[in-house]
Amino acid sequence: MCPNNLRVPAGSLEKRSIPKAPSSIRGLDEILKGGFPLGRTTILSGTAGTGKTVMAMEFLYRGALEGHAGLFISFEERARDVRANACAMGMDPAALEEQSKLRIIHAEIPADAIKAGDFEARGLLAMIEGHAQLTGAKRIVLDAVDSLMSIFEDPRREREEIGFLLNRLRDLGMTTIFTVKAESGGLKIYPFLDFMADCVLFLDQRIEEQIRTRRLNVLKYRGSDFLSNEQPYVFSAEGLVFMPVSSMSLEQLPLAERVSSGIHKLNQLTGGGYIKGSCVLLNGPSGIGKTSLASSFAHAACSRGEKVLYVNFETSPETLVGSMQSIGLDMRPALDTDSRLRILSAMPESAGVEEHLLRIVDEMSGFSAHHLVVDAISACLRMGSGRVPFDFLARLITESRARGVTCVFTNQIRNQEYLTRMSGIGISSLVDTIIALEYFIQEQELKRRLIIIKSRGSDHSKQFHQLELSHTGLRLGRITGRESESPGSGQEDISQ
Amino acid sequence: MSKSDCSFNTSTQYHLILFVAGNGPNSSIARVNIAGICENELAGRCTLTIVDVLKDFSAAAENNILVTPTLLICKPEPEVTVIGNLSDHEKVRRALNLEALQS
Repeated sequence: MCPNNLRVPAGSLEKRSIPKAPSSIRGLDEILKGGFPLGRTTILSGTAGTGKTVMAMEFLYRGALEGHAGLFISFEERARDVRANACAMGMDPAALEEQSKLRIIHAEIPADAIKAGDFEARGLLAMIEGHAQLTGAKRIVLDAVDSLMSIFEDPRREREEIGFLLNRLRDLGMTTIFTVKAESGGLKIYPFLDFMADCVLFLDQRIEEQIRTRRLNVLKYRGSDFLSNEQPYVFSAEGLVFMPVSSMSLEQLPLAERVSSGIHKLNQLTGGGYIKGSCVLLNGPSGIGKTSLASSFAHAACSRGEKVLYVNFETSPETLVGSMQSIGLDMRPALDTDSRLRILSAMPESAGVEEHLLRIVDEMSGFSAHHLVVDAISACLRMGSGRVPFDFLARLITESRARGVTCVFTNQIRNQEYLTRMSGIGISSLVDTIIALEYFIQEQELKRRLIIIKSRGSDHSKQFHQLELSHTGLRLGRITGRESESPGSGQEDISQ
Repeated sequence: MSKSDCSFNTSTQYHLILFVAGNGPNSSIARVNIAGICENELAGRCTLTIVDVLKDFSAAAENNILVTPTLLICKPEPEVTVIGNLSDHEKVRRALNLEALQS
């Protein structure tokens, strides 16, 4: 018989999922479509150091905060070590233990115990039932269950005992998490567990180009949908944070609202300024004025009382403020007095792509930024190989768009001829506006010019304009006189 | 303090606590085995308490009893833990230090 809450009327298109116990771990419930299976068993396996214990503890901890009593049985670490590790991840289990909302038990058979005949793990069950009766716990974690089971020294007996334990916990209606070690090759200690459990999660970490990345893989979830593929996660001060890579949707923007680029003439050329909540890409070689253009935008926004998060992958905040002073932009009041500008300086190599993303997104939310500048996204190529930089930027754009934050990205390119094709990372399809900057030679003089290559939803200028940088600021104007060759060979491409 | 606590002070030379789980096969065998030892080799010198963890959850928790049967030899000290149905008589006798006693 199908329980009432699972019954789906015949012919109904509605697909109902099994009941869930939310983990309340950031991002995880999105991957698990609501949480762990309620009253069922989840296997959490992973290599050493992937955070199995932290994740399991966080489930109990966050549940306990919401009033669900939990029982954590550790077969390896001592209770005080478990507590200390939880504290290091921003949790305070002791307070919840005092309220009997959480209990941490180190369960261990003395190492010098003498074995004299066959035995079963009934004592453990009695212990669990006793604690559950006392505290009303319905959530339980068995951490490093393989450590206990190894005492049987018989794979068949281990399997029997684990099976018995799982069945009994299910009868008790316990939402259970078993953590089990796995070898680095993904080889499992108890392959049969995957068949017994309702939900099987695998945690993995690898180090590529000296950057550590951690991934969660949902191998199985009986009776439920879930996000497939590898899902990245990080350890943060507030516990684990998952950043689901869901189908990235770039919804259509309302095109009406505009924000100033900070340069009057550029506003005219773009049909009224940048589109609010859109993504603008400033492409050009080194020294051409990308940072100046981005800073003009930031400066203007701050002057209007809006907040800007400036992610600086190139220099320190001091250097940036100093160099902008030389073109007449005083960013110091916005930075120091008004707190409208926040500069986040980071070395791309200093952390994995998830850490960077989390830090930026957290700042964006915490600071309630209206706008985001990333200078320069070309630095993201140093965060990792393959699709890593693209994924980073795509997710950053998605996160910004969801918050209505306008993005201005600068991108340094090496060769002018690639100007129109968008070099490197390949995010041109994701951005709404592309502005290209380049050098050209006129009357034996090296000059700068700018052109709007693409601007979604705008009637924009299709002509080159000269860009002048001086101590009084940026100036855009018509190119006068006879043009000569540009130093690159991209001119034909551009002026088509 | 009860007899199901190792620190309970008995007047006898031996103080044993056997933790069982109801009348399961291993628990029943262990009951028979320990009764035989107490009635023969340790006759008159032994205090035996049997705790059923299915009835007394807290005793299992307090003594960290994960598997059944478990025999705690509280006295003579040092405390020794024996797990299993006690069918391996040699090991049980050695744990109880019975060889040394007889020689």
